[in-house]
Amino acid sequence: MLSRPEDLRPLKLRFQLMLVVTMVVFLVLGGRLFQLQVLEGDQYASRAERNFLQSIDVEAPRGRIFDSKGRPLAVNRPAYTLMVTGRPRVLVEDEAAKSAELRRIAVTDAQVDELAALIDFQDETDELKFVSRIEELRDDEESGRYAVAIRSNLSDREYARIKTREQLASWVDIRKRARRFYPEGALTAFITGYMREISREELERRGQAGYRVGDRIGKTGLERQWENYLRGRTGMANRVVNALGIPVVNPPAMASAALADPVEPIPGQDIHVSIDVELQRVAAEAFGSVLYDEVSQTEYGGRRAGGLVAMEVDTGRILAMVSVPSIDPNEWEQPITRAKFGDWTASPFKPFIDKTIQENYFPGSTYKVVSALSMLVDSSYDPDEIIECGRYVEYGGRKFRDTHACGPVGLEDAIIQSCNVYFYRLAMERGLTLSKMEATARSFGLGEPTGLGINSEASGTVPTEASEIRQGSFQQGVRLNSAIGQGNVKVTVLQLSVLYATIANGGSVVTPSLVDRIETRDGKLVFENEPRLREASPPLESFDRERIHRGLVGVVNDPKGTAYSERLNGVTVAGKTGTAQVGRDRRRVGEQGIVGWDTTQDHAWFAAYAPAEDPEIVVVALVAHGGAGADAAAPIVMRVIGDYLGGRRAGSVNRTVSPARRDAGVPPPLPGADRKGAR
Amino acid sequence: MRSRLRGGGGGTWRGFPGGLDAVLVLLTALLVSVAVVNLNSAGAGDWTGLVRGQIGFVLVGAVAMFTVAFLDYRVLYRLGYTIYGVGLALVVLVAVVGVTTNSAERWLRLGMLTFQPSEPMKLFLILGIARYLQELSESSLAGTIRGLIIPGVMTVVPAALILQQPDLSTSVVLGLIALSMLALAQLTLRSTLILSLLGVSGMMLGWRLLMEDYQRERIDVWLNPETHAEGAGYQILQARIAVGNGGIFGRGVGEGSQNLLNFVPYKESDFAFAVFAEEWGFLGGCMLLLVVFVLVAWLLNLASQARDRFSALVCVGVAALFFWHTVLNVGVVLEFIPNTGLPLPFFTHGGSNVVTMMLSLGVVSSISRARRER
Repeated sequence: MLSRPEDLRPLKLRFQLMLVVTMVVFLVLGGRLFQLQVLEGDQYASRAERNFLQSIDVEAPRGRIFDSKGRPLAVNRPAYTLMVTGRPRVLVEDEAAKSAELRRIAVTDAQVDELAALIDFQDETDELKFVSRIEELRDDEESGRYAVAIRSNLSDREYARIKTREQLASWVDIRKRARRFYPEGALTAFITGYMREISREELERRGQAGYRVGDRIGKTGLERQWENYLRGRTGMANRVVNALGIPVVNPPAMASAALADPVEPIPGQDIHVSIDVELQRVAAEAFGSVLYDEVSQTEYGGRRAGGLVAMEVDTGRILAMVSVPSIDPNEWEQPITRAKFGDWTASPFKPFIDKTIQENYFPGSTYKVVSALSMLVDSSYDPDEIIECGRYVEYGGRKFRDTHACGPVGLEDAIIQSCNVYFYRLAMERGLTLSKMEATARSFGLGEPTGLGINSEASGTVPTEASEIRQGSFQQGVRLNSAIGQGNVKVTVLQLSVLYATIANGGSVVTPSLVDRIETRDGKLVFENEPRLREASPPLESFDRERIHRGLVGVVNDPKGTAYSERLNGVTVAGKTGTAQVGRDRRRVGEQGIVGWDTTQDHAWFAAYAPAEDPEIVVVALVAHGGAGADAAAPIVMRVIGDYLGGRRAGSVNRTVSPARRDAGVPPPLPGADRKGAR
Repeated sequence: MRSRLRGGGGGTWRGFPGGLDAVLVLLTALLVSVAVVNLNSAGAGDWTGLVRGQIGFVLVGAVAMFTVAFLDYRVLYRLGYTIYGVGLALVVLVAVVGVTTNSAERWLRLGMLTFQPSEPMKLFLILGIARYLQELSESSLAGTIRGLIIPGVMTVVPAALILQQPDLSTSVVLGLIALSMLALAQLTLRSTLILSLLGVSGMMLGWRLLMEDYQRERIDVWLNPETHAEGAGYQILQARIAVGNGGIFGRGVGEGSQNLLNFVPYKESDFAFAVFAEEWGFLGGCMLLLVVFVLVAWLLNLASQARDRFSALVCVGVAALFFWHTVLNVGVVLEFIPNTGLPLPFFTHGGSNVVTMMLSLGVVSSISRARRER
């Protein structure tokens, strides 16, 4: 064995065959390389690029909101948003077969718990919500594929904790996204409104407009109404990701070179409103406070609920607009605890309701100007005719009372003293019908939204006989009650402001406005508000206006006037008090025991304009369950007027305006017999 | 061919001291260097441990290669059956006390080291069969079908044991190596035809009866990876993108995006060729295929000049070892065959394979030296 060499020449053919086979096989392999790399190389090169290039949205800086003096009401602050991918790409390796698959695999409970443990939750509900959001995403094949924002405004500590957990990187991403900040907080809450995460329905509706799950959108106020202007256009940034879709911190040079230029976002447009924050603050302080947390405290001494509008009489520009109480809109930038939310919704003070436009109230005696104007269009009516007020009238078997006997009064005196009997008798004997009052009310814009545009305005009610009969509420006395702003007459604070502005400016029904102008971030004008008047101008004859005006001046300046005690030094104010009775049956259980909140108390109104000689500003205040208008509402209005005309107004200098009664240091003389009768 | 390849020194240079085969040594050194560079690139600096380990394996393999190269190949002939027996015993031992990793029981633990007996088994089978066929050539069974029985059994026993580790591809490679050796010495036209018939019908039967649904699905994925891009087709598709991304000149060493950003799974082991093709391009890929082809051709050349049948068979066996590993591995990356899980010699990280391959070349070197003894 193997002792001598063998002759292998007979095998030569086999060796050659093997060599040929080898050559052919290697040529085939080389041919495939040629196909993939030379013929189709470009195609695969671009696919390789698409593999690692990822485009992400870059949120545009939201437009800011400024007051009329350029003070910020809504701005942006840098913050971090947590994004999660519910079904991240996972490489599943089969080591035995040396094969790997890339699969979308839902994150496990353990992973979710790991992330949840790093976040400081407000309460259990907050945590449950957070976890169930992730669970929703991971159970959804479609939305689980994308990084979705699930929590904004991470604290620095949360940010640091999450960033240091590298194993989270496969499905958790933190991106820079601004948070909204409202420097004035609750003070301008209903004007700015607030933002929340976009709801599913809204997303479907606005899907075309580039909204994504987890985006924030204006929910109320200007934030909602001007969303399209404020939002701006989302930009696009490009980054390098690895096979698992995780961004690469230091991408290879060739990958960075392949990145396309980012698309810069277009910032949202800035809104300049007519509000003067300082005047707004004066109004809020006159109420005591607007902040819900303070208002709702039992020991709180201020007015619990109400609203105020201050407006330029000629243009309808709103200078101050306060609703008490208000929730600080910054609260909505964080998760809200269930306890807190429950407290808000259950509160008798209704902090979600904008009391200047979203709630209707009986106007009470402030409505008497409508009754009076309804009569004045009738030439047979003599406003100078004296009617005897004997404290009550009988009609349809019922007694309609007044708070005191005013004695013999004409129209002006009836307004000055707020005499109910005078207006009852107009309704009983002089043809003051519901339809006449309706015509007048409608010509002043009552019974329909004023057109401000924000916060879904209530329209109020102007009763007609037809509507009364239809609703089954028609009684013989309804005309009498309507004549003094009770019955079924309902108005909003803003509607009443328009009414009194019309009297003040001599007959132009203005459309109230908040937005003066909108500008791009670099100062280009996009929109400028022009004062708009209603087309159907009310038939307000100047001598009729003068008569009413004299009455309103008397309310404040005649010693018999219901608001005489609230008059100001240095400026003549014209106005009307109102004390609207609330139905006794509307007393609600569970609200007893809140100090300063007696739901059997009347709503207090005061509507005024000044200066009487050349009116500039109209201010209307309502204090819910505040009692008599002269006591509860008039001081608030007077403070706002005093502040505005005392120097706040541009161009006015050295006019000192102060409450007259403070000079005296003693209680002012009481009009009539009973202060409660300040109707 | 011999004079062309070895005659560079005008016949004056006698090769390495001790008669080491210079062509083998140079080709090996070339392959090993490129492979280590590629592994380093696939590791992108993160797997320095892997690269260092591979260099260690290469050094061990080199020592084994040179040691065996200085042996007289007749010792290997005499010990042919013993070596085969030891190899078989190790494979049996794996089945009994093997280390299970990822549901496959392939490794034996020796202190700190683990090794995979199925790798050296390839060489030991070559030696065993070569010895048997040498003896057979002097008997009456030469060229008969009955003469196929013993080599068949010698192959099937370890192949079956390896199959149930499970490691289908290694057992298939054992069969292919045995067939390649038989093709040189024992198979006739008739027996080839019979074997082919048996093979084809067996495969069809297997497709019908034995294939599980998931295996059929795998074939489907292999045929249409695009439709399974996010799933089972991911690996093969990303490998293809990597290869295509290489273009003509390649992205450059350490510059392939598919490699650097981890789009190619198993790029440090069975899909190392995808990384190589991406970074070295069509030119580099062709050079690599050419080098392996030259190596196989040189082994066949040595076989044709061998002193005896045993030597020729060993050379053909080792040629088959390199040929099949390369073809089956690259064939997977280039989508000619479904994913098998065979290492690309030197490129795939792993000691058992590297040492086995170098040991095999050492054996051939020893045989190469002896061919001048005629």
